[in-house]
Order: sequence, then C-alpha cells, then structure tokens
Amino acid sequence: MNLDDRPPGFGVGARFEGDQAVLDVRGEVDVLSVPTLAVLFDAVVTSGYPSVVLDLCDMESIDAAGLAVIAGAASTLIASGGRLTIRSPSTLVAQVLDINWLSGLISWEFPAPDPDRLGPEQVSPAPATPLGAASPDVAAFDLRAVASVPANRDVVDSALQLVVALARATVGGADGASVTLRRRGRLATVAASDQTVLEMDADQYATGEGPCVDASIAGRWFHAESLDQETRWPAFTPKARALGISAILSSPLLAGDRPVGALNIYSRTATAFAAKEQELAAVFATEASNILNHAGLEVTDDQLTDRLQGALRTREIIAEAQGVIMERQDIGEKEAFDVMRRSSRSSDRPLRQEAIDVVDSTHRHRLNLDRRPAGEIS
Amino acid sequence: MTDQTTNTLDEYRRDALLSHGELWLRYFELGGMSTALEVEAFLYEALEPSPHDRDLIAHALNERFVELGGNHPVRYADDVSRERDT
Repeated sequence: MNLDDRPPGFGVGARFEGDQAVLDVRGEVDVLSVPTLAVLFDAVVTSGYPSVVLDLCDMESIDAAGLAVIAGAASTLIASGGRLTIRSPSTLVAQVLDINWLSGLISWEFPAPDPDRLGPEQVSPAPATPLGAASPDVAAFDLRAVASVPANRDVVDSALQLVVALARATVGGADGASVTLRRRGRLATVAASDQTVLEMDADQYATGEGPCVDASIAGRWFHAESLDQETRWPAFTPKARALGISAILSSPLLAGDRPVGALNIYSRTATAFAAKEQELAAVFATEASNILNHAGLEVTDDQLTDRLQGALRTREIIAEAQGVIMERQDIGEKEAFDVMRRSSRSSDRPLRQEAIDVVDSTHRHRLNLDRRPAGEIS
Repeated sequence: MTDQTTNTLDEYRRDALLSHGELWLRYFELGGMSTALEVEAFLYEALEPSPHDRDLIAHALNERFVELGGNHPVRYADDVSRERDT
C-alpha cells in the first residue's frame, strides 16, 4: 500500500528549512485532531526553532480548540524570542487572532492575488522582543538529536576544541580558530580558541555574511586573503577589520556530502594563508568532519524532515488501523491499540507493520467487493 | 510505585540507547498525545502516566529492544497492576 495515497482528512506535515520549521496543516482541525497539532507544535517550539511557519493553505476548517492551540503556541514562541508566521490564513482565522493581543506579534503571509503566480514572501519583521529575554536553552529536548545515534555531545565538542587548538598552533600565521556548526537550524560556534574569534563568528551570524557563513552553507572554501581589499561581505568586513583581523580561511565541514559547518582560521596578517596553510586547514577540516560523522550528531534539515514526516505517516496509519479494528470488533480505541500491541509483541514485528496489514486488508476486502459480479451480495 | 527488582522507564531508555527526543518521537509515532516534557516526567516518575501512555512508552522501548536483538523487557500497564494485586 502506498501510504501517500490516503483519503483526505486531517493531517499535518513538518519540514525544516534553515532556522525555520514549517508545519503544513490540511483538512479539519477540530477537537479530535487538535491534540496531534498541539503536541507537534510543542515539539517544534521546545526544540528551539526560532521561527515557525504555520501553513494553512490546505486547511478546510478550524474550531475553537484549534485556535487555542495556535494562540498558545504563538505566545510560547514569542516568549522565547521566536516568531510565528501564519501562511494563507482564512478570513475567520485572521479575524479571531487579530482581536486579541497576539495580532501584533504574529506575522501573516496572505496568498498572492494572482493564483497562477507566486507573490513575493510577505514576512513582516520579527517583533521587537529583545533577544535573550528568555533563554532558548529552556528547550526540553533537541529534535535534531532524534534522527541521530546517541552520542555524548560534550565529548564531541571537546574533540572539536582540540582540533581548533591544533589548527591554531600548526597553521602558519593563524592567530585564532573556531568551528561553526548548524545546530537547531542556526549557525553557532561550538569551539573557539579565544574571545575575539567568538565575536567575529557572532558578527558573521548576525550580519548573515562572511566566509564562515558562506562555507557552512555552500560547502566549499572561502578565503579572504586581505580584508582591506575584500568586497564580498560589506556588512561583516569592517567589523573584522575593527578587531584587527586581516585574513580569514573557512573550510567546509561535511556530513556525507552535505555542508554542516566550517572550520575558520583567522590571522592578523594579510595574505598569511598560502598553499601550504590551505592544505593544512583542509586536513583539520577533514578531521573535524570525521569526528562529526563518527558521532553521527549532525543531522541535516532533509534528514530531520524525513524522520518527522515518517513518524507522522506511521501515526496516521496506526490511527486508521485502530479505527478499522474498533469497527470490526466493536471495541474502544485503547482496546483496539492493545490488539495491535499484543500481536506486534507475539510476532516480534513493529506495530507499524501490524497496522499496515490491518489497513491493507480493508483495501483488499474493498477490491474484492468491487470485483464481484453485479447482484452478488456479500 | 517501582519495586526494587525493576528498572525505571528512564533506565530502560538508557539501556535502549535512545535519547529523550528519539523516545518521544517513537511514542508520538505510536499515537501518543503527551508532550516531550510530559514524557520525560513519566520517565523520571515525576508524573504518573495513564495506563495507555505507559503502554505506548513500554511498547516504543520494547520495539527498540527487539531492533537491538533483545526481547520485551519493559512491562505493560496490565502486568504492573496485576503484580500489584498479587
């Protein structure tokens, strides 16, 4: 059975794009379906994504319970310095949320007037909530950790710290070094040789430009030979100059072939990094990538999206199978789950597989009915 | 209440080599309705899960133990209450 060929009804999908989590809601959001939305929303918000987009394009209806979930999620998100954007709200949704205090804090993206053409993204700027007003570290857990094998992040960070120290000591002309990683959809410095380097990395994240940002995103080398002549990063370069930095070499860190961060080496001397230094930096970048890959810690947006989408599909199929069993055996929801749980236990097969078989059997049953000659009564 | 001879759910989680996030996702996959924070509280026995929640967590853990080549060491709500009665 193809799980994607499923009858329309309530459903929610999740995908991750950079620092943004997008939840697509379809069908009817009512008292029956709202807990799924609420718990998924909670997972995304508490895992520290600063920006959540709720796409209501395929939503058919929403009741008071659904609106309460949106309002609750918006306030949690805003309290932690984040932002909620509602894409394609119906007039009703917009009106209801507009009359309370949330109206000024939610961003809206209305569909473009011409349905054949996509309009420009209408994202209003983030609310003037001071960053750091509430620590995003209150996160109950990191969603990003779910698609990876367990590993001790502290051990990994210590190993990276060692790579940074070695790079600084070994690469000629290096005055500082750091490792940037994309965690929770945001770039962050996980190891740095000193405070100046930390500040310089932070300046790059804040301006959204610079060799470390570009290397982390594009997955290739960026070398600023002499910042005095540098024109690629107009917002960042003056800040680096002010800290006395003249040359930067950022080498990408890769998980498989996907960029997940960068190893950055800074120098106060222009043209400090010649071919030999670049070669050494590549060796350290490879070493850092190996540490990450071995630990299996770094999860890309695509992997996370796949994992969560898979979980949502499984959840739907289990709910559907539960419904079938409830009807067939005239029992309650919990009892129907127990039927599958017991059969999963005795067969040593995942419950998901039991559920697929149950749903499949109804499809076969339906097909058999369809094939029966006219007039035959089942 | 946990008797002396049984692991807590969080001890099983550690034996199953699952992070809190991964266990919550597996619980959610089976149809769980509690948030990640609530599930963590169940694991640490700060909150008492409903029998259904207990079964969902137990089953998520047991499926993981089967993946790792083991059996089903985590007891379900029925087993726990039956033992309490005897």
